[in-house]
Amino acid sequence: MVQVALSLLLLPLLSAGITLLFLRKYGNIAALLSVASAGGILAFSSFLIFGKDSDQIFSWSTTWFQLSDWELSFGFLVDSPAKTLLFVVSFVGLLIHIFSLGYMADDKAKARYFGGLSIFMFSMLGITLSDNLVMIFVFWELVGFSSYLLIAHYFSTDEAANASKKAFIVNRVGDFGFLLGIIITYWTYGTVNLQELSVTANLDPSLTSTMLCLLLACGFIGKSAQFPLHVWLPDAMAGPTPVSALIHAATMVAAGIFLLIRIEFLFTVEALKLIGLAGSVMGLYAGFCALTQRDIKKVLAYSTLSQLGYMAAAFGLGLPGIALFHLMTHAFFKALMFLGSGSVIHACHHEQDIFNFGGLRKKMPVTAYTFLIGVLAISGVHFLSGYFSKDAILLGAYNLDFVIFSILYLGAILTSIYMFRLYFLTFCGETRSKSSENAVESSVFMTAPLIVLAVLAVFGGFHSLYPAQIVEYLLPDISRVAEMPHHLWMNILGLFAWVGGLLFAWKIYGSDTQSKDPLELKAPSLFQLSTSKLFFDEVYLFYVNRIQDPFFRFLEVMELLFISGLMVRGSAGVAALFALLGKSFYSGKIHHYSFWFVLGTLGFLAYAILGGGIS
Amino acid sequence: MDFHQILLLGSIVVPLLSAVFILFFFLNDSCRAKQIAYFAFGFPCAAGIFLFVNTDPYLTGYSFELLYERMGLQSLGITFHLGLNGVSSPLFAMAGIVGLSACIAAINSEAKRLPLYLALLAFMQSGLMGLFASVDIFFYYLFHEFALIPTFLMIGLWGGRDRRSIALEITIYLTLGALISLGGLVALNVLLDAPKFDFPSLTESLLTDGLKVGTQQKIFGLLLFGFGILVALFPFHTWAPRGYETAPTSVSMLHAGVLKKFGLYGLVQLALPLLPAGGITWGPYLMWLALGNILVVGAITVAQNNLKSMIGNGSVMHMGYCFLGLAVCSSLGASAAVMLMCAHGLSVSLMFLLANYINKRSGTLEMNEMGGLASQTPILACFFAAATFATIGLPGFGNFWGEFAIFLSLGEYADNRLVLGLAALGIIISAIFGLRAMARIFYGSKSDELLSFEKENKILDLNIKEIIPASLILLPLLFIGLWPKGISEGIDVNISSRYQIFDKGDGNLGLPSCCPVSVIEDSLPESSIQKSALEEEEK
Repeated sequence: MVQVALSLLLLPLLSAGITLLFLRKYGNIAALLSVASAGGILAFSSFLIFGKDSDQIFSWSTTWFQLSDWELSFGFLVDSPAKTLLFVVSFVGLLIHIFSLGYMADDKAKARYFGGLSIFMFSMLGITLSDNLVMIFVFWELVGFSSYLLIAHYFSTDEAANASKKAFIVNRVGDFGFLLGIIITYWTYGTVNLQELSVTANLDPSLTSTMLCLLLACGFIGKSAQFPLHVWLPDAMAGPTPVSALIHAATMVAAGIFLLIRIEFLFTVEALKLIGLAGSVMGLYAGFCALTQRDIKKVLAYSTLSQLGYMAAAFGLGLPGIALFHLMTHAFFKALMFLGSGSVIHACHHEQDIFNFGGLRKKMPVTAYTFLIGVLAISGVHFLSGYFSKDAILLGAYNLDFVIFSILYLGAILTSIYMFRLYFLTFCGETRSKSSENAVESSVFMTAPLIVLAVLAVFGGFHSLYPAQIVEYLLPDISRVAEMPHHLWMNILGLFAWVGGLLFAWKIYGSDTQSKDPLELKAPSLFQLSTSKLFFDEVYLFYVNRIQDPFFRFLEVMELLFISGLMVRGSAGVAALFALLGKSFYSGKIHHYSFWFVLGTLGFLAYAILGGGIS
Repeated sequence: MDFHQILLLGSIVVPLLSAVFILFFFLNDSCRAKQIAYFAFGFPCAAGIFLFVNTDPYLTGYSFELLYERMGLQSLGITFHLGLNGVSSPLFAMAGIVGLSACIAAINSEAKRLPLYLALLAFMQSGLMGLFASVDIFFYYLFHEFALIPTFLMIGLWGGRDRRSIALEITIYLTLGALISLGGLVALNVLLDAPKFDFPSLTESLLTDGLKVGTQQKIFGLLLFGFGILVALFPFHTWAPRGYETAPTSVSMLHAGVLKKFGLYGLVQLALPLLPAGGITWGPYLMWLALGNILVVGAITVAQNNLKSMIGNGSVMHMGYCFLGLAVCSSLGASAAVMLMCAHGLSVSLMFLLANYINKRSGTLEMNEMGGLASQTPILACFFAAATFATIGLPGFGNFWGEFAIFLSLGEYADNRLVLGLAALGIIISAIFGLRAMARIFYGSKSDELLSFEKENKILDLNIKEIIPASLILLPLLFIGLWPKGISEGIDVNISSRYQIFDKGDGNLGLPSCCPVSVIEDSLPESSIQKSALEEEEK
């Protein structure tokens, strides 16, 4: 088992290393290597999930770093939540690798792209398998790095240059808290190993503190782009679309939720409540922002933010199993939609404005119908995958915390509105630009993953269809929610949410084929508010440009003035002044010397007589 | 003398003799001088790595010891005593690696009067190897001066803008620092009255008849500020960025990477274990000064537009972490600081090397006059990204472990957690300046200045002669990052054996709150306490 886990982890690293060293100029070979390694990952992880003794928790560790009493191990912990995520990452990862073969076919820097994907797979698998917090942190930073690398793929555009920088720095802000959290965890519990932590935390609940939970949750806030660090995710769409699907929708951003699940036993009631509330607000806020976005990828990005909010809310309600369930179904349908949008963007020659699409259903039927399945699934249409996980969250919220429920329910209505808006504008009606006029269906490399994901988006909600190992962690919470009252009522509300959203979107966007957003004409103030995204970016930009940078420059000037100037030059100046004074005695004229000599002698005599003469 | 000892002695003598050879015979024959230089720097590098691999990490004392007692100074306790222990051997290897890389950079640099330049560099290298190999404190100090003086000359002769005035400023500053620390060292020698003036004898005599707390505090103060000036402790740091900006690349690499570690090495090996009470008294103040390094200099780094001055400021900033590790006064903090010293020496010299490459390709060091270089120089961009991410502490590179362990040591005591929170802000600050530089140099579109430069010069990617020195530094950095145990074991065994006094101390006897333990009672050996008790009884 150890060998399997190690090879699982090292395979993508090896692939990335070989690509970096030897295949920089051979994009096609690099692509094949990377896809092969993704296939290998799937094979190894299936072995890890389904192999013998798979009903037990597998853990292994060896010393990695040791200083004084501190000992860090490099170890694996493959338990039930890890298996679920392992399945999602390796399966969706492989599909997206295959999709990339088609999408990146004409890219000049293919090798760099596929190398980056492999590094990402390595780091993501690392997070999944880690058995201690520090190791999670290590891979946590590495996924941030690979995300940086891949967002910056089109580095010659300023957009990508800024977005990559922003993503990494904002993530670092979250990691700052996470790091402090890990350190304080170590000194509080005496260990960072997850299994030992859970034992210690259960033995002595008094050790937990809300402060510590919130510090650790900072990691989640940064990586999962939650309030107030959500600003990086929409910008991260500057990267290639399959990257957005893999990293910024299906796996990496979901790692935040996975982290919370890993340390669930540390959380206090207050911290849970706060996370639940923040998550639900995020669900609503991001849905509201998604309403008026014109860029197809940004709509999906805000949608991802909103769905991550749902997961956080589920976690905050004390239903981590449901959060992981939603993580899984979301990975399917959101990857599906991102890849669908990639297929559209590829066909329309990198046009991303949905008001320049239209009528693509007839031109790209496979993309359109699979995309529709994604839209239906995320909107919570009955018996598709999203229905099960999202309604489980809503039902849980309804029974556990009505405030969270009402916010989430509003979010659900918005979800259905912006999703159907996206679908209608892109695939229905007349074509609105030249690029969409000439669109043709994408190659089989791109449509095949779409079809597979669509199947999962339809059936992925039936937990009984999965092998027991994958859904083991979900089941207790699913049955807990299943036993809650008000099922029928929730079904009616759910129906109302998606049908209402569908009708609303149809009324506004269904028939209109203009290049201006009809909502802008009908409700201008609402529209403005939504496009402003509540000014987060503006506030941060103001802080960076008007407060931080000038202050830093001010410090530089102060340093120059006081330390370099006053202290260093000043002391040199004082010394030089004395030197000048001393030098003036050396005039080279004999009568000056004799004058000083006489004065000195007189002074000495006076001292001898007045001071010493008395005794 | 066995093989290892020959290597140890050779890594000091070979560069020294080569320098003399070049000076006397090949001052006008740059071809021959280059060949000699390869040997002069290649030997210590290979020897350093070989000795590092062969050092027994579980030995608390010195390996490969070499001792000449009759130097003519034995009446002062001074002997020529070489050896490596767990702390010095990784630093010794690091000095060798950076030295070889700097030598190749110098040979590629096409400097005027190259043989002279190489000879001075070889002098410096000999001093650098010697300072980490010395067991005797007099020679430890002497080798430092030996490396320092060529630095001034090289900055004055081959430096860039304002080289004369800056060379003078550095000279005054560093000589002052060295003088103050010399005062401390002499005081130690005189007051402890050990039979020999080397690290183990001083430790031993401290155990038999310890110093009074007040004396410890005074000497520690001298050593702290003397060494502090040499390591660019805030607010005595302004010489460093200016100096590195002006100095030729190889000198910046060797000075920022290796020579600057002299002061920290002295604090780790000498000041803290010998003067624990001094460390505990000064610790809290040192913490706030180190925070000045991290936050104030960090902020100034962000404001820089010149690449080299950004790297210089950044290196001063990261010295703050090392000081923090020492200020905690625990074996964890001190070993973490040593880890960071090794990694930082590599990463900062790599940065200076790459800055030189970038300068060659863009004709400038002002970052707003660059942009979009990555499309033409992907390999350079790759190296620069690696160096930047190493500098900002990405896991997978050595710096991360050092920084992480320093933060960890700060978290141990609740009183230090405010400092921990502030210091950890540094990871955000470094990310800001590192990634801004990356974006401004390599991403986006080209600036007008670069376009006009390009008209006259062709921008080419790195050639093999440039890749070799860069990968020479990058590989050990990755090694430490991926397998930290490789160097942490030796450091840990050595430091733990000599820092017990901090870890075992107990009771808080009214010392400043930042400091966890009191060693006032512990630092006085039991025998002397008993003696004073006996004396009281007699009265």
